[in-house]
Amino acid sequence: MNGTAIKVLYFAQVAELTGLRQESWPLNRALTGSDWLTLLEARYPQLAPTRRLKLAINQVHRPHAALIEPGDEVAVFEPVTGG
Amino acid sequence: MILVQESDFNPAELTAGLRARSAGKAGALVSFTGYVRDYTENTATRTLFLEHYPGMCEREISVICATAQDRWTIFEPVVVHRVGALHYTEQIVFVAVASPHRGDAFDACRYIIDALKTRAPFWKRETLATGESVWVQQQESDAAQAAQWEIGNASPKNCHHEPD
Repeated sequence: MNGTAIKVLYFAQVAELTGLRQESWPLNRALTGSDWLTLLEARYPQLAPTRRLKLAINQVHRPHAALIEPGDEVAVFEPVTGG
Repeated sequence: MILVQESDFNPAELTAGLRARSAGKAGALVSFTGYVRDYTENTATRTLFLEHYPGMCEREISVICATAQDRWTIFEPVVVHRVGALHYTEQIVFVAVASPHRGDAFDACRYIIDALKTRAPFWKRETLATGESVWVQQQESDAAQAAQWEIGNASPKNCHHEPD
């Protein structure tokens, strides 16, 4: 993956609210999930409050304190409801 | 065996397969089947759509099954989860666990379905009889149930779980 962007995936309600399933998000330095969610909320105010959302980084559940780095696949979603 | 698929499944065949693989070694086999039900109080569910995160689903269920195999004496579990459009009362999910002993089989099966409900990336959108479409919200009881397994309890105590 390239080192100047992250691949962002949106699922379920979040995909409906953004109107997108995925997008490339320019990023050339690491930042925390919390900081990135703040940027996400600025771009998509309809997602507020984004602190309720869950993050998976490279297909693993991660806390908001985790670092997102250029090249990562980042998924954003509401708490899961399978089973 | 982990399957994420649109098509329906046959619990009897899946159980027979696990039984054959563990024949003579397993004295107990516990299985769980989940069905589409009414998710919203006082409102009938007509159809359900299950969205998922391909790749991460299989990965997360693999981790859950590996954890169960580390924690209890069991054979490789069977987990089948359907995705896509499902009708009222159809089967959604199947978990089967075989073990030399019933305690491990019951606990591991319960652990797997509890963990799956709070960790595997699936989302249910229900369409009501009224035609309205809503995303199902995660139940606090599911989160609490799953959390009890994480604090080192052998099994959850005093649980008053909503019917699945």
